[in-house]
Amino acid sequence: MDSMITLFNFSGQFYALLGAATAALAGIGSAIGIGIAGQAAAGVVSEDPNKFGQVLVLQALPGTQGIYGLLIAFIILLKVGLLGGDGMVDITVSQGAYIFAASLPIGLVGIFSAIAQGKAAAAGIMLVGKKPSELAKGMIFAAMVETYAVLALLISFLMINSIQF
Amino acid sequence: MAIVNISKLSVIGLNENKADILKAIMDLGVIEINNQESKLTDEDWSGLIEKDGDEESVYSMDIKLSEVSAALEALNKYYKGKKPLIKTRKPVKKEEFETFEKEAEGVYETVKNVNSIYKHISYLKSEENRLNTAVISLKPWLKYDVPLEMNGTKYTDIFIGSLPIAVEYESVVAAVNEASDKACLYKVSEDEKDRYISVISIKEHSEGVKDALRKKGFSPIVFEDVIGKAAENTAKFQEQIEEIKKQISSEEEKLYSLSEYTEKIEYYYDLIAIKRDGAAVLSNIVKTKTSFYFDGWCPKEKEGEVKALLDEKGCYYEFKAPEKGEQTPVLLRESALAEPFEAITELYSTPNSNELDPTPFLAPFYFLFFGLMLSDAGYGIILTVGCFILLKKFRLEGMFKKLVKMFMYCGISTFFWGVMFGGYFGDFIPVAAKSVLGIDITINPLWFNPTEEPMTLLVFSLILGGIHLFVGMGLKAYMLIRNGQVVDAVCDIFLWYILLIGLVLFGVGGSFSPALTEIGKYMSIVGAVGILVTGGRDKKGIGKITGGLGSLYGITSYLSDVLSYSRLLALGLATGVVAQVINTLGSLAGGGVKGAIVMIVAFIIGHTFNMAINVLGSFVHSSRLQYVEFFGKFFEGGGTIFNPFRRKTKYVDIIKEEK
Repeated sequence: MDSMITLFNFSGQFYALLGAATAALAGIGSAIGIGIAGQAAAGVVSEDPNKFGQVLVLQALPGTQGIYGLLIAFIILLKVGLLGGDGMVDITVSQGAYIFAASLPIGLVGIFSAIAQGKAAAAGIMLVGKKPSELAKGMIFAAMVETYAVLALLISFLMINSIQF
Repeated sequence: MAIVNISKLSVIGLNENKADILKAIMDLGVIEINNQESKLTDEDWSGLIEKDGDEESVYSMDIKLSEVSAALEALNKYYKGKKPLIKTRKPVKKEEFETFEKEAEGVYETVKNVNSIYKHISYLKSEENRLNTAVISLKPWLKYDVPLEMNGTKYTDIFIGSLPIAVEYESVVAAVNEASDKACLYKVSEDEKDRYISVISIKEHSEGVKDALRKKGFSPIVFEDVIGKAAENTAKFQEQIEEIKKQISSEEEKLYSLSEYTEKIEYYYDLIAIKRDGAAVLSNIVKTKTSFYFDGWCPKEKEGEVKALLDEKGCYYEFKAPEKGEQTPVLLRESALAEPFEAITELYSTPNSNELDPTPFLAPFYFLFFGLMLSDAGYGIILTVGCFILLKKFRLEGMFKKLVKMFMYCGISTFFWGVMFGGYFGDFIPVAAKSVLGIDITINPLWFNPTEEPMTLLVFSLILGGIHLFVGMGLKAYMLIRNGQVVDAVCDIFLWYILLIGLVLFGVGGSFSPALTEIGKYMSIVGAVGILVTGGRDKKGIGKITGGLGSLYGITSYLSDVLSYSRLLALGLATGVVAQVINTLGSLAGGGVKGAIVMIVAFIIGHTFNMAINVLGSFVHSSRLQYVEFFGKFFEGGGTIFNPFRRKTKYVDIIKEEK
């Protein structure tokens, strides 16, 4: 594996940072998801401004994927020593590549699940527009989607945690 | 601690006491009166009875209510005092409320007064708008020294209008000159869009001039209802606007002073609402010439009070236990500790009257799960203290009160798990001590640090999940046995218990003792074969075999259910690590005063955000574990909540004196 990757002549640290960056990409999905939900929320609030608080809660739900991405990115940065006082540790190219691989679940699942969750949240916001008492159900529908982001977060985390330097 | 027993109640009384009896029942507030529509078409009844009802007064009181709420809304806009953060019902003693009833008519006058003033203000505001528009439209003509209504002399026509500024003025002049040698035009003014002109032309040529102008984009302007010069009119209008403004502020002043009656008007609203409900309930009562009949539901424990009341009023009545399987309204009663968690059940669905109330069973798990997900001692203290203050400061009621109380309890659990895992605003204390003060402090978790040993917490989460699911299945078995379906309980629940426990022993029992693996193996086989054989017992022919296979395949759903509890770890990590990120950001400015200030700012903003988002996350995901995984095992829901005929008030809470 080393020989193939060294073709590109990048260092192990580079791959580790690429991993951190990939994990943080989950924020793309959150931004899109919150955007979708926000459009629906504005529509409902235009009918009844009193529902602002309720729909805001629903709008916030697709935001967690971005946080999960941040979380994995942060753990990677800690692991390679970029955030500690002692500077970056030396890692081999394959170790770096492992970290990159570990970042993929949350990076990819984060993007797509947050978009899907944004759509579910938007539908939940419409539900609250018609039946304000059903807020909890709208929240649960959106949270059903989040399960898969949670699972991806776990896998990414467990992978990074078990990579030894 | 569960669903309260409800009895069926039928009552016959004399019409002459009806109003009195209904008022007493409303005061008592423990009887739900059913709709009697079916009796009216029932052959046994229809010849004897007719529908009671007083729709006219319901209608007139509905109108009154909308008048009152319009007045309240108007006053609310002009209320000067400080509004409370949370609007709660004001406790009022029954006697006090009854005294108020006597002065009620006067309040209605105030309501009408408020509404007419408010209507007048709206009228004045639209007048003001109209005049402002007129002033704006006159603005280009201020320098035009001819009365606006003047459209000609004996031999000439005069007309005014606008030309787009994009059209060159010289070309317009040329066009007019070409059309007539006895016409001329004056430029009055121009703004960024249009040029305003006045044209005078001899009568014979005016059509030709107009045509020429139209080709250049001229649009004529005619002022209706304006006599005199623009400048004079503008001055006049402005004077009127000033006058209207004065009137508006004097009317508004009146509303300000009337806003002290807000409370009285709120009382009045509730008074009318009570009367309305009293009249509306009549449509659920049937009557003969001299007597009336209604039936409904009453909690069994209140039977004594109801009997005493009905005896006193001379009614005939009958209590019956509901028939087996009959759906009755549902009244929940919990122990003090479980009560706030009723909110979680209610947000999902009211249980139906034939099943268990899940609240006492979900409460401990909800408490535990919420704490595990938030797991920060600092956040726990803030949550508990914050909710405690809310409860002390405001007289909360209903669902909101339950939720606040529930979060208060969950804060305790959050604190507990925070201490176990060593989270105090994440790692704030060691980080702050190191970067600002330059000393090393380590706070050791009481149990372990989940960031370092995530597998331990993952296993712990899955075990908790397994227990949660087993409790849910146990409740299902209990309900099946209670309904006499012992075979179903054995086949659908106990065989699964054997299989699932067997599989776990087979998988991990070996690390304790090899014998456990062996036991697990046989348990699994017994369970699996049992499920395979009994799974299709309700089906015929080939269905018996496929049904068994189908049931056994259901094992995948148990796998996904248990894995779902891994979110306990994931959300716990999310809180802890994001808190760590915030603290790291805060420490970037280093030590000294500057560093401390940066740290504090990062702390306040960052932790507020993190706590808000994670409290929301913990709430949603703890609920999800109850709704999808736990309720999926046994809970049906779909009941209707017990809704007795009582005083339903919006602004005041009428308190009966304790005898």
